[in-house]
Amino acid sequence: MTCQVVLATIVALAAFSLSAQAQDVEAGKKRAEACVACHGPNGNSQAGTFPVLAGQSDRYLYLQLRDYKEGRRKNSLMSPIAAGLEKQDMKDLAAYFSKQNQERTGFKSDMARVEAGARKAEESLCAMCHLGGMKGQNEVPRLAGQNPDYVVTQLKSFKARERTNDAGNMTSLAQTLSEEDMVNLAHWISNLH
Amino acid sequence: MKRNIAAEKAALAKNGGGFYKTLGGGVWMTPAVDIKTNTVFFVVGNPSPDLYGAERPGDNLYTDSIVAVDLNTGNYKWHYQYVAHDVWDLDAVSPPILVDVKDKNGKMIPGVIHGGKTGHIYVHNRSSGNLIRFSDPMVSQEGLWTLPTKEGARMSLGADGGVEWSPMAVNPGLRLAFAVNLEQPMTYHVEAAAYPGGKLWLGGSFKNSVGEEQFGNVTAVNIDTGKVVWKARTDQPMIGGALSTAGNLVFAGEGNGWFKAYDAKTGKVLWQYQCGAGVNAPATSYTVNGKQYIAVAAGGNTQLDFKRGNSVFVFAL
Repeated sequence: MTCQVVLATIVALAAFSLSAQAQDVEAGKKRAEACVACHGPNGNSQAGTFPVLAGQSDRYLYLQLRDYKEGRRKNSLMSPIAAGLEKQDMKDLAAYFSKQNQERTGFKSDMARVEAGARKAEESLCAMCHLGGMKGQNEVPRLAGQNPDYVVTQLKSFKARERTNDAGNMTSLAQTLSEEDMVNLAHWISNLH
Repeated sequence: MKRNIAAEKAALAKNGGGFYKTLGGGVWMTPAVDIKTNTVFFVVGNPSPDLYGAERPGDNLYTDSIVAVDLNTGNYKWHYQYVAHDVWDLDAVSPPILVDVKDKNGKMIPGVIHGGKTGHIYVHNRSSGNLIRFSDPMVSQEGLWTLPTKEGARMSLGADGGVEWSPMAVNPGLRLAFAVNLEQPMTYHVEAAAYPGGKLWLGGSFKNSVGEEQFGNVTAVNIDTGKVVWKARTDQPMIGGALSTAGNLVFAGEGNGWFKAYDAKTGKVLWQYQCGAGVNAPATSYTVNGKQYIAVAAGGNTQLDFKRGNSVFVFAL
């Protein structure tokens, strides 16, 4: 008896979570139409200053949108957009972009810079949070294959303490990086896939 | 400890004690249960944020502690805090082990032991929690308790600790506990940071100390004396755990794929097998129809970026 009740509950929960997930992605897809101009089709940005969102961790995407809305992260383009989003919208968008296939950006990394970037990444223990291959986890973003211009912009912004929604992790680390280091790291990250 | 107690008291008076809501202190690994006394023993992780302590004045109980609670009621029995007001992420993560130990008078009593990220094995009286002894350091501790700075302050003990979450093993006959260690000199960087709203909150960063070698050890410690009896060096820092058998063997795996058997008395490598991916899990042992087997998973490790795999290997003794 107990087993049957438990089984029925599990089946019901599974069905619920599947349908909720499908709605999220579908609703997110519709809402994401407004994002194409900057973030490209399916979140595969063609312009180096805008981040690739395809394949990004959904928790990271949701929390960044929430941070824009709540003023923890500021950007002249994103802050006004996030201001108009509700929690469910952010979750839908995050679900949608996280499910898209990430494509190569077409950027050709300089292999000498890739090597230097890899050395700096090892020294900086990037994998401790971003995991091996910079695949990301939960609220720690996937970096692999990201646009190099965007990576450099963010590292500079952390160093200048203009972007501070990182809880001290990246602002602290970026103090130890030169501009040359940042470019090397960006070439290395962009070359990962 | 180099603490500024006056500043901590002033911070408490100014900001109040509401920080307990975001203080962290998760339990990473499995507890030990003493059925005879209905007691659960577990160790508690670090306070949050890891490196920035000004947000959280005081000892931050019961972070970085071993805690005993009643199995049936959850009521507190005792605790022992290893690091008060931690700002290095040197928390308590390796699972506690129940084993009889010699007390200070040489009398055998029920004990509970823990392998600390500090690099010591701690031996407690199981009923009172009193610390009977702690072992010689198993890893280098140069600059221990140096406070993190904005520019980065070096300690030879890295933030993965002397013993990470890796379970230890005990050979009661030989009176030895076996731990796997990491030697990873790091610099500790602090950055003032407010609560980030449900995100990872380090309040700083860790970096590898440039140009310094990293490696690991398998270490045997006499739990009745605290002396290191032997130490076997490995090429890489060790995450995974140890297994000890009644036939005086110790098994431990490495990030480079080697799974090794050591002589429990001497630390001599008796056998090794290349698993093709990081052996970063503790081995286990069991018997089928009287034959003893050793099984271990080679899944690699993302934190130290050891080659990932997806296999379980089983060996017959």
